Amino acid sequence: MTQQPSDQTRGDSTAFFSGDQSAQMSQNEVTALCLKAARGAGMSWGLAEEAGFAASWLTARGIDGPRHLLSHLTAAQGRTWGDLCPKVAPGAWQADAGKTLCPVVLGATLSDHATLPGGLTSGAILTGPVDHPILLCPFLSVIAEAADGIVTLEWDGGRLDVDANGVTSPAALAAIEGQTAVTLRLSIRPGVAQPRPPTLSPAIAADTVTALNTFALRTTVPASDASRAGAGAASNDND
Amino acid sequence: MTNPAPQISSAAAPFRRDPANVMRLARMGAGHPTRLSFLRVLLRRIETEGWQCDRPVWQVDDKGVGHAVYRVQGPGCCYSLVAFAHDLPDDMRSDRVIATAWDATFTLFDGDPTPADIDRLRANVPFQEAGRITSRELTLARANRSVRLFAHVADALSQGRQPDKAEIAAVGYLMRTTAVYGSGKFGASDRARIAARPELNGPFQVEMLTVWLIRAFTVDIVEHMARVKGGDRAIRLDPALRRSLGVGNSTGLGMAPFVVRHPTLLNNWTIAREEALARVRAQPGATQQAIAVLHRALDAAILNARAWHSDHPVQIPRLADLRRDLALVKATLPGWDWTAPTPWDALWQWGEAHLSLEGQEALLSLVLEPHGALIDDLAQTMGADEEVSFRLNGAMRVSELRAILQQHYAWALAIDFDFPENTARFWYVSEEKLEPRLGERAREDGGSLEQPLCIARLASLLAKSLEGVDGDTPVATLLLAHPDHRFMVRRAQMAAIHPYAEIRDNLIGTDMLPIDMMRCKLAFFGADRFDPRSDRWIRISLFQGAAFPDEIGSGPRA
Repeated sequence: MTQQPSDQTRGDSTAFFSGDQSAQMSQNEVTALCLKAARGAGMSWGLAEEAGFAASWLTARGIDGPRHLLSHLTAAQGRTWGDLCPKVAPGAWQADAGKTLCPVVLGATLSDHATLPGGLTSGAILTGPVDHPILLCPFLSVIAEAADGIVTLEWDGGRLDVDANGVTSPAALAAIEGQTAVTLRLSIRPGVAQPRPPTLSPAIAADTVTALNTFALRTTVPASDASRAGAGAASNDND
Repeated sequence: MTNPAPQISSAAAPFRRDPANVMRLARMGAGHPTRLSFLRVLLRRIETEGWQCDRPVWQVDDKGVGHAVYRVQGPGCCYSLVAFAHDLPDDMRSDRVIATAWDATFTLFDGDPTPADIDRLRANVPFQEAGRITSRELTLARANRSVRLFAHVADALSQGRQPDKAEIAAVGYLMRTTAVYGSGKFGASDRARIAARPELNGPFQVEMLTVWLIRAFTVDIVEHMARVKGGDRAIRLDPALRRSLGVGNSTGLGMAPFVVRHPTLLNNWTIAREEALARVRAQPGATQQAIAVLHRALDAAILNARAWHSDHPVQIPRLADLRRDLALVKATLPGWDWTAPTPWDALWQWGEAHLSLEGQEALLSLVLEPHGALIDDLAQTMGADEEVSFRLNGAMRVSELRAILQQHYAWALAIDFDFPENTARFWYVSEEKLEPRLGERAREDGGSLEQPLCIARLASLLAKSLEGVDGDTPVATLLLAHPDHRFMVRRAQMAAIHPYAEIRDNLIGTDMLPIDMMRCKLAFFGADRFDPRSDRWIRISLFQGAAFPDEIGSGPRA
């Protein structure tokens, strides 16, 4: 979170990257950075936690969750809650005319409603357009796990299945990576999750981390004399 | 990682203390280490399993600069502390998280490091936050010398004499750690990757192992400096004096939010300790052996309280309370009727009636001490899989959520947040140093960037939003209208099944003491000799009196 590559004087765990470097990040780091960035971009704390969860889930499955979240946050910042959240109705969860849905809000809301009337377990849902729908997959996996089922996500030109362990077809996943403002059809059917070998987490690019840090910095308070005075011990450490 | 709830026997259940009593900040801030504390759990395993400990590498020059490797091997596991020793000018020595250089830096390596690993670590570990470690590393830590005691011990040993016992007792450690990072920080291994290993399943075991091995390094480096100075005249530290040394730790506000951010962990730590106390109180009698262990533990506690020093106005009266209380226990025990029914419960009730909070929590630790066979299994229940409780139940009805708030957050709903003293402060993260700080709302900017640690107020705001809402409404619908409550709804649902998850005090009130939150956590670690340096900064000691690695197994010193 600092512009100076050798500044050690901060109490944060985010990696130092510069130029076109990239590096592995732990799940803990991805979750923490993405939570702070989502909060900095305007999400409530509870939804920012969902954003951190989603990015980390994707990273653990070999997908660059931080990059997708960054693309979404950059596009969605400044939009109001009413613009981002779906109108929940049986069979069709639409955005307002001319708007697109936030995948984190939609995912969390789908998860909240999963077993309720109008939720995914009571019938297929047509929804959208959805920003960066790849960010929806972690939530669909949670729904699949709770329902002992497999969720199918279909869009114009492709489809993929999501179970408790992840996305069943990496090729289909590649087709939806990077797409945005996509109208989706979601459905669930009974099925058993496939075991999957652990995937190597992708290296996260310096640009992604720097940009997420810029969002995260919006959650911090600029220094003042009062804040500096209250930060240390009341005595010398050379004893 | 599965995480079974502690088994609650029907005999012990009536003896459990109520969360409303246990989870008050003043009591949590009077916590003492127990045999369920994390460092005790680690040492029990190392001793029981007879881990092999050695020091395969010691490459430190006459200036005290270089590196060393401390290796432990248990059944099916091997870990190595890689220690880097530095020559630090006094004017760079700071305990704050914003320091840029230290007397020594460390990482715990998963296995046996190769020379190439050491080279990689040498390029990163000495820089701490500015370096980068990998999933082969489990922790990152640093330590500073106690300048006065380190110089005294090095001087004395170099001249062929043992250091002054009183000087050692006054400080208690040669070095104090100023940070021990685990759980994926700076690229280190995520806890999820290692939590299934039996030796690391409990909380903070890698951190405790790191500090235990650092303790061995602190003595080796002082003996090394004595040899450099005194040559053949230099002697080694007397084993009994060495045992009396711990590792200091200096901790600031950064630790306090942990116990709020990890409610299931706080619950599992606390419920294990409370179940342990309940099991002891439920005992129908007392064996002669248990009574003897209790007396020995009490004598040790009295000595410890005598050696425990603090100049802080909060701790001075607490220490006086503790010493008086321990003397009262000492005077009372000889006449105790151990033949009465449930004599441990009677002793506990006597303590609640006669002792201060310091004394009561010290008594808790004392009565657990003789009962390892009865309670040590609870250590296996103190970890938590936080992902399990993350998923919110949107199908819950508002009526049920309301009932949860009434049952588990009545203490919060009773606070009137219209009074300025109840919102006097706010927790925030500083832009300059990215460290958690506590601001005064009336005098400082930044209240709008408050961190969600003000749980009582969040619960209170949620309760207000629920007023007038139809009880049959699902939480999912509520959250579509009120996305700001998502954080607190998740938390309330978690607290409903984790009764010891919340600190039942206002964490933004004018009289809140952050050091109480820190001491609670540090006591679970096994820390002792709590010495506040301000209301938000505390020094402690770890592993005083414990065995050294070379006293376990058959590993020779290199």
